[in-house]
Amino acid sequence: MGLQGDKIRAIIPSRLEYRDLAVRLVASACKLVRGGGTEFSHEVVSAFSEAINNVIIHGGGLGGESIEVEIEPAEDRLTIRLVDNGRSFDPLTVPPPDLGSLPESGLGVFIMRAFMDEVAYAAGPPNTLTMKKYARKDGQR
Amino acid sequence: MKFTRLNKPEKTVLVIEGVLDALTAPEIRPTVDALVEERPTLIEVDLSSLRVIDSSGVGVVVSLYKRCKEFGGSVRVTGLANQPLAIFKLLRLDRVFEL
Repeated sequence: MGLQGDKIRAIIPSRLEYRDLAVRLVASACKLVRGGGTEFSHEVVSAFSEAINNVIIHGGGLGGESIEVEIEPAEDRLTIRLVDNGRSFDPLTVPPPDLGSLPESGLGVFIMRAFMDEVAYAAGPPNTLTMKKYARKDGQR
Repeated sequence: MKFTRLNKPEKTVLVIEGVLDALTAPEIRPTVDALVEERPTLIEVDLSSLRVIDSSGVGVVVSLYKRCKEFGGSVRVTGLANQPLAIFKLLRLDRVFEL
């Protein structure tokens, strides 16, 4: 039986203390994607970590509001949506960092966009960040 | 996240285990600050038991490197694997730390 249309939803408080819990959920969901492999999982986990940081720190604020994490696994891809009612923060407006200068911050959005195949943002309320990554049978990015 | 500082004759080793992220990075910063104040010749950051790192965690390591470089000290990163290694390679830090 295929995974098409299956969705996993979790509502977590918009606090950094719950971040690792959500990351572990996403890491587990990566295993459902056929052909995903460890590199696929590492890259999705990295991108999701930055995305949820942004929502908690820059968007929803460090207290109060909740975040909905929706994960849609499929045979060849994983789609993740982060939905919140906090301040809008469009990560796609952030300029790329100058990696040669060894920046100590401002790397999160770059990591998200580098590791995911598609990143889209719709300002709300509710704000919705959608990220998608395809599994590559040949391991190519 | 757990971190341990080991003082050896030829170097200072900072072992970081678990998750180094936006939540835990502030916990280790005072230790890093104290370490830099001592102006050690060589610091080894052992990340062999680090499970997950994010950009905040990377910022701690890069900050340590840059501050030590200012007084001529060296920082070596060892034991990177899995997700932390993927991040370091993406950010081209594998060249900086000769991974």
